[in-house]
Amino acid sequence: MVSAFEFVPAIAVLPLVSFVVALAFGKWMPKKGALAGIFATVGSLLISIWTALTVAGFLGSETVYHAELWRFATGIGTFNLHLGVFVDPLSSLMLLIVSLISVLVFIFSLGYMNDEDETGLPRYYASLSLFSFSMLAFVFADNILMAFMFFELVGLCSFLLIGFWFREDAPPSAAKKAFLVTRFGDFFFLIGVVGIFATFGTGLFATEAGFPHMAEQAITGEMPGPVGEFLSAVGMGAQQWFTILGLLVLGGVVGKSAQFPLHTWLPDAMEGPTPVSALIHAATMVAAGVYLVARMYGFYLLTPTTLAIIALIGGFTALFAATMGVVKQELKQVLAYSTISQYGYMMLALGSGGYVAAVFHLTTHAVFKALLFLGAGSVIIAMHHNENMWDMGGLKEKMPVTYWTFLSGSLALAGIVPFAGFWSKDEVLYEALIHGLGSPVLLVAWAMGLLAVFLTGFYTFRMVFLTFHGEPRSDTAEDPESVRWNVKLPLGVLGVLAATIGFINMVPVAKLTGLKIDFLHKWLVGGEVLNAEFLTGLEHYEPILKEVAGIKASYIAGGEIPTLLISAALSLGLALAGVGLAYRLYAVPEPVAHTKKLGGLRTLLMHNYYQDEYQVWLAQGVTLPLARAADTFDQGIIDGVVNGISSVSLFSGDRVRRIQTGVVSNYAALLTIGLALLLIVFGIVGGWF
Amino acid sequence: MLVELLIVFALMAAGLVFLVPDEYAGQFAAVLSLVPVGVSLWMYSVFDGTGNALLEGGQPAFETLANWITLGPYAISWHVGLDGVSMPLVVLTTLLTTLAIVSAWTPIEERESQFYGLVLFMQAALIGVFAALDFLLWFVFWEAVLVPMYFLIGVWGGPRRKYAAIKFFVYTNIASLVLFVGFFTLVFGLGDSISTLGLPAIAQALEAGQLGSVAGFGPGTVKLAAFAALFFGFAVKVPVVPFHTWLPDAHVEAPTPVSVLLAGVLLKMGTYALLRFNFTMLADVARANATLIAIFAVVSVIYGALLALAQQDLKRIVAYSSISSMGYVILGLIAFTPHGVGGATFQMVSHGLISGLMFMAVGVIYNETHTRMIGDMSGMADRMPVTAGVFVAAAFGYMGLPLMSGFAAEVLVFMGAFQSTVIPAAPLFTAIAMFGIVIVAGYLLRAMQKTLFGPFRLETDYDIGRAPLQDVAPLFVLLALVIALGVAPDLFYRMIQDAVFEVTALGLGGGA
Repeated sequence: MVSAFEFVPAIAVLPLVSFVVALAFGKWMPKKGALAGIFATVGSLLISIWTALTVAGFLGSETVYHAELWRFATGIGTFNLHLGVFVDPLSSLMLLIVSLISVLVFIFSLGYMNDEDETGLPRYYASLSLFSFSMLAFVFADNILMAFMFFELVGLCSFLLIGFWFREDAPPSAAKKAFLVTRFGDFFFLIGVVGIFATFGTGLFATEAGFPHMAEQAITGEMPGPVGEFLSAVGMGAQQWFTILGLLVLGGVVGKSAQFPLHTWLPDAMEGPTPVSALIHAATMVAAGVYLVARMYGFYLLTPTTLAIIALIGGFTALFAATMGVVKQELKQVLAYSTISQYGYMMLALGSGGYVAAVFHLTTHAVFKALLFLGAGSVIIAMHHNENMWDMGGLKEKMPVTYWTFLSGSLALAGIVPFAGFWSKDEVLYEALIHGLGSPVLLVAWAMGLLAVFLTGFYTFRMVFLTFHGEPRSDTAEDPESVRWNVKLPLGVLGVLAATIGFINMVPVAKLTGLKIDFLHKWLVGGEVLNAEFLTGLEHYEPILKEVAGIKASYIAGGEIPTLLISAALSLGLALAGVGLAYRLYAVPEPVAHTKKLGGLRTLLMHNYYQDEYQVWLAQGVTLPLARAADTFDQGIIDGVVNGISSVSLFSGDRVRRIQTGVVSNYAALLTIGLALLLIVFGIVGGWF
Repeated sequence: MLVELLIVFALMAAGLVFLVPDEYAGQFAAVLSLVPVGVSLWMYSVFDGTGNALLEGGQPAFETLANWITLGPYAISWHVGLDGVSMPLVVLTTLLTTLAIVSAWTPIEERESQFYGLVLFMQAALIGVFAALDFLLWFVFWEAVLVPMYFLIGVWGGPRRKYAAIKFFVYTNIASLVLFVGFFTLVFGLGDSISTLGLPAIAQALEAGQLGSVAGFGPGTVKLAAFAALFFGFAVKVPVVPFHTWLPDAHVEAPTPVSVLLAGVLLKMGTYALLRFNFTMLADVARANATLIAIFAVVSVIYGALLALAQQDLKRIVAYSSISSMGYVILGLIAFTPHGVGGATFQMVSHGLISGLMFMAVGVIYNETHTRMIGDMSGMADRMPVTAGVFVAAAFGYMGLPLMSGFAAEVLVFMGAFQSTVIPAAPLFTAIAMFGIVIVAGYLLRAMQKTLFGPFRLETDYDIGRAPLQDVAPLFVLLALVIALGVAPDLFYRMIQDAVFEVTALGLGGGA
């Protein structure tokens, strides 16, 4: 029987083919390349489903797959630099998410781009296909070099798509910023990659030959020879050096996953077409960073310092971004900041040992954020591309499908039971709490995450009420353009999923009732082969978490169940409070901004804490003048010295002019004579004649 | 005999093209130049050299050794051959020559037959530089490259072409003089232990520690002096900061096809010679001065990139970025690790293709707009979508986008440098040099944003249209090569690795 695993490379290759087709022939195709993309991603989705079923063990006994596809260098003494496929529960889940969101985004684009008569559609669909290709290949990468490569390609695609409307001023600028800021993070990532290869001689994620295992050996067991040599060359202890490597790789994660302080590119990235935003935020670029940490979790677990930093960055970003989301006036801006904030939660979970919680939130977030962006896209079509929420209002009756699905996504985002976001966010906070009770740093991170729950509830429903409730506040809102099936279908699918996908891991219910319904948990625990041979299962991670990272769970109020209930009640209560406040302030016929009440804080929030300003200053106020100074120095001093020397020597100004006026053959003569003289001198000195 | 065939054919082609009327010269030269392309590709496919041509146990392919003249105690031979380092560079030379000739059809409008003749003549000399295994033979070719280049800049260049050409000529000739003196100091120091000026003999004699005193200076001093002289001589060519100021002037004044060859092949003469002389023959001196050389490398990378960031002229941007890219080569060489030296050599080829691509892309825009100033245009992608697309691809290639050759080269260099035990604090040096990948993104993205994107605006009086096929076709060829080498670096890296592996072990114990 054929195994799905043999077709895994096709999951990525299909969109690559569609990239080529759309780019080369899109102009002459009926939907300008959209159909190629839809066919390709549907194909990817089907193979992903097949793969997931195989991993689940329904279709045979082999449940994990690792294969090398292509080697870059085979010469003597080279590292094993290759492209490979690694399919385990984590990557197969992610393949499923990415291909599903891709399909829906392609379908939605028919409504958002084709029906709106945009130009340059082949370019659009080609870039979108390339985006899916890069992300899918990134997901099944079996080594960190390959991961880095496709991470970068993801960055290229975001550049192409954010800057899609290149004839205007803002999109190219936003595209540049996105690439540059993430490149800055990738600079650290690449040092990390190079460092990992130099230290371990391999970049493999899994198996005993992989670098996480070698690092584990170096810390807990017997030091592998080459690692020891390298460590003594740099003169550092294993843990210290691995912390540095981990932090370097984290640089790339912070850039792509838009964590503080490299989050600034993401709100600007809203210049791109809305379906692209859905793809970037839900399933591709931004998810890539968090996914990478999960992918090499076995390595991060070895360095508690790195974990604590991840948790702190995550908790802080969750809160920090949520505060900015509160004052935004444009629909997509609110969503942008919510994305930053939600990825903060995933980082918080990863840093505090909540591997399952992070992957769970990654999954649910992919669904509800894609939904919210596509819903926003639908609203934007209806509003003739006006995104200001203060011009909306009352869209509820006019676009019921959009409204109800958007509401489902909003409830999920706000974390209201039983919508998806509740289950995952609750688990994130629960994990941070129980592990934070023994560690003040984690507890601080948890507290920030918890506070952000209130703000999330507030800004989410401020957005819902301003957009859909009350009276229409502009002519377009009175008479919005209608949307077609290609918009409603993706919304419907995602709307249902946003309400239900949380059921894959209802940990509180499982714990209370004793039912074994924490499916995702079981999925990530994996089987015997995964834990013993490939070393990427939860069963393998948990002892390391306790023993090496020293992160242990402790409980309040006398045990697991009460802690669980208190944690759930806290997050749900805060979320409801946020929703309630939004209801009081904005669910009125004529809402006003209320931001004056924030006083000085308002200015700070409106300017996003001046994060953009200082980064622009670093680029334009520091680097550019430095470059200009270097240029002046170069022209004036270095070249000046050269010109100075030449003017006092043989080629003095006067003579140069005379030489220049000479016929060209003089130069050749000059050269020949010079050479001959040189030879004669050496001949005489050397006694040749 | 194949190397001879290449060189002689190129020379004959040069002569023929000189005689052809101007209106056919371009096409005729292009057709003729396809023969060396074919021959070199065929040579590549049957390449059977092993090891490094200069070292014991190395066996270059297509080797010919014939005594030519005898100068005093030294036999001067016609000694040519290709090993894993030179074979890729010869292929690069023939390919880029053809593409440069095609890309010259539009911009070169006067004295065409002379122009193409000189290009072909230069090709012959360049192949000779990479193939020669005898010092004097090598030096003749080395100098012979200068003459056509001088005329190509001085006759067909921009408004300040005389200044640029003279500057190029003076700079490189002084460098040649110094390296010549430096090399002969070594020859004298080796005394009776060599009877030829063959590079392998000299390299092996040096490795065996047979260097004696010269004029009362001990072998150590002689070696150091020779190393310094050779390093200076080649550093000018590469160019390494602070010996670089001829380069931007030469590039700005040179017509596009000449820039393509200048950046694509001529700069590699410098790094190639550094590898052959300084890092192979005098590896022990290089190792002893690793800190200094690594500083040269890092300064070239960062300073070159900063200079590129300050420029307003597209061509100047690309010119300065070459300095930055060549810094990576130096860094890889001084690492003395297989990935470092191999990656550096791979970077020579890769940068040849990518910088050629970049210069051609700028050239195509210039052909249509007659300006290269960033401030003079915007939104060109609206009028020249295909050119703009290739420009974007080229720029990302330059930034080291994975699956393009630049990434492969740079990552190999970084890996090699990071694990180097020769450079002190190698990880730190490498990390600083790697910041170049951020700056390169900065200036190329800025250049693209200002010229290609935004609302269309052009401050010259030219009617802008789509570029003709002959201008764009070479771009696609180069782009395909860049991607091919990025996906399958082993097309060249395998043979490079084989040839440089021995180099990394040189200079450890032996020598004087």
